[in-house]
Amino acid sequence: MNTNLTEQEVLPTQPASLLTKGDITRAWLIYYLGAELSNSYERLQSLIFCASMAPVLKKLYPKKEEQSAALTRHLNFFNTEGVMGGVIQGVAIAMEEQKTQGEPISDSSIIGIKTGLMGALAGVGDSIIWAALMPLLIALFIPFAVSGSPMGGIAPLVLYTGITMAISYSLCHKGYQLGRESIVSLLQGGKIKELIYGANVLGLIMMGGLAASYVKLTTPLKLSFLKGSVIEVQKVLDSIVPGLLPLAAVFAIYFYMQKKGPRYTVILLSVVVFSLVCSITGIL
Amino acid sequence: MSTLMIATLMGLYYWFARLRLGYTFSGMLLQPVVIAVFVGMITGEMQVAMVVGAGMQLVYLGVTSTPGGNVPSDPALAACIALPIAVKTGMDVNLAIALAIPFGVIGVFVDQLRRTINAAWVHMADKHAENCNIAGIFRCAFLWPALMGLVIRFPVVFAANYFGQSVVQRFLAFMPQWLTHAFALMGGILPALGFAITIMVIGKKTLIPYFVAGFFAVLYLKIDIMAIAIFGTCIAFLIRGFGKSEEARS
Repeated sequence: MNTNLTEQEVLPTQPASLLTKGDITRAWLIYYLGAELSNSYERLQSLIFCASMAPVLKKLYPKKEEQSAALTRHLNFFNTEGVMGGVIQGVAIAMEEQKTQGEPISDSSIIGIKTGLMGALAGVGDSIIWAALMPLLIALFIPFAVSGSPMGGIAPLVLYTGITMAISYSLCHKGYQLGRESIVSLLQGGKIKELIYGANVLGLIMMGGLAASYVKLTTPLKLSFLKGSVIEVQKVLDSIVPGLLPLAAVFAIYFYMQKKGPRYTVILLSVVVFSLVCSITGIL
Repeated sequence: MSTLMIATLMGLYYWFARLRLGYTFSGMLLQPVVIAVFVGMITGEMQVAMVVGAGMQLVYLGVTSTPGGNVPSDPALAACIALPIAVKTGMDVNLAIALAIPFGVIGVFVDQLRRTINAAWVHMADKHAENCNIAGIFRCAFLWPALMGLVIRFPVVFAANYFGQSVVQRFLAFMPQWLTHAFALMGGILPALGFAITIMVIGKKTLIPYFVAGFFAVLYLKIDIMAIAIFGTCIAFLIRGFGKSEEARS
């Protein structure tokens, strides 16, 4: 197998190209629309990946046996983050096309490249698209929502959808044009890691700022040691460092999750019990 | 709008949002602040709905999805039930958040049920692939899961909204002072969970000082969230090179 394929040789501008730009866009759109719709425990996103490839495969493989083999091939276990997953789709389409053009590409190498890329891209996508971008956009417009303006909901909805669709669309076309070699090298390069790092830093600064405004915890406790001298605990705490109790609450929950994993239900119930106890005893 | 109408619309909204039509679009439709816009529109109380929605959003800020797409808690079910009831009964934000939480937990089971049932469509699609029945594959990928979703999702939200309001009203009428205060405490503490989850999801212990910096920037310098976003972006760009070496070590 010719491993020295340059980008030029893989470019779909070859005369034999069967697929139009519209075909790629359509495949991308189908995947974007249904990425989680048919998600199942058994094979996760395999069904939607197959469906999104179906129109392309129909065009590439007119013969029934080949077409059904190709469809079955893409029903194999598949799961990734749907925005970054656009790249995999582009690469898979390019490989299927090259296969029909007589390149020595085996079925298992198509499945292999898909499963090889899906883990890495899921990691990138989860940390940029879901862990950073989404809370960031919501956080940015939370002040609108708090003051009662619908902009607090509309703006994140429009911006998040628009930004992620644009990213996913261009990634899918890029994947198709560049093929697998360059995608792998892109993933190994430093650019994406830098991006994730920067997004995470910004995300944490924003979360810190929001936490200071929206976690509310003060104590009405008053201690009297000697006759007449009453110490208001909250005043003492504030004079040391303001926001000590809210910060403690965030990190108490954080360290619990670090130790025991994301047991939300346990944490929620603990907060309920804690609040009831503190309310009855008057500690908080 | 009548309770029946609101219950029906909320049931349909929940079904549609949880359908996950449009990967990131639906991801945002599931967020309490966005649900609040819809609740505001159908109840005519936009102001109240947004304020309560913002409060709920903070609890669920980091709850998106875990690797593999499992829902750790369902903010959408929580908001689709608790938001309209809170707006209609004039409940305060903290109380509404406390009301929302149990529903968020129930939502997890509903989603597990859905993804278990969804396996049936994959098997159906296997047969369609053999016969090159592309229309059949599309029905398995879109139509059947959507219809199934309507059956398992609509009734929960509809029933809770339809019967919930009067139950909640009766309950509110004789709630003791210590319980009201406990709910207020919960409402104050629970956003901490949202932030803790976000730190968890970002998952880099070495970056926690940035969280602390943001926290005290607000308390000491009294700057608002847009200012934090601007300075935060600058800092993110400035430390980019530094990040590269950091990543290489971990």
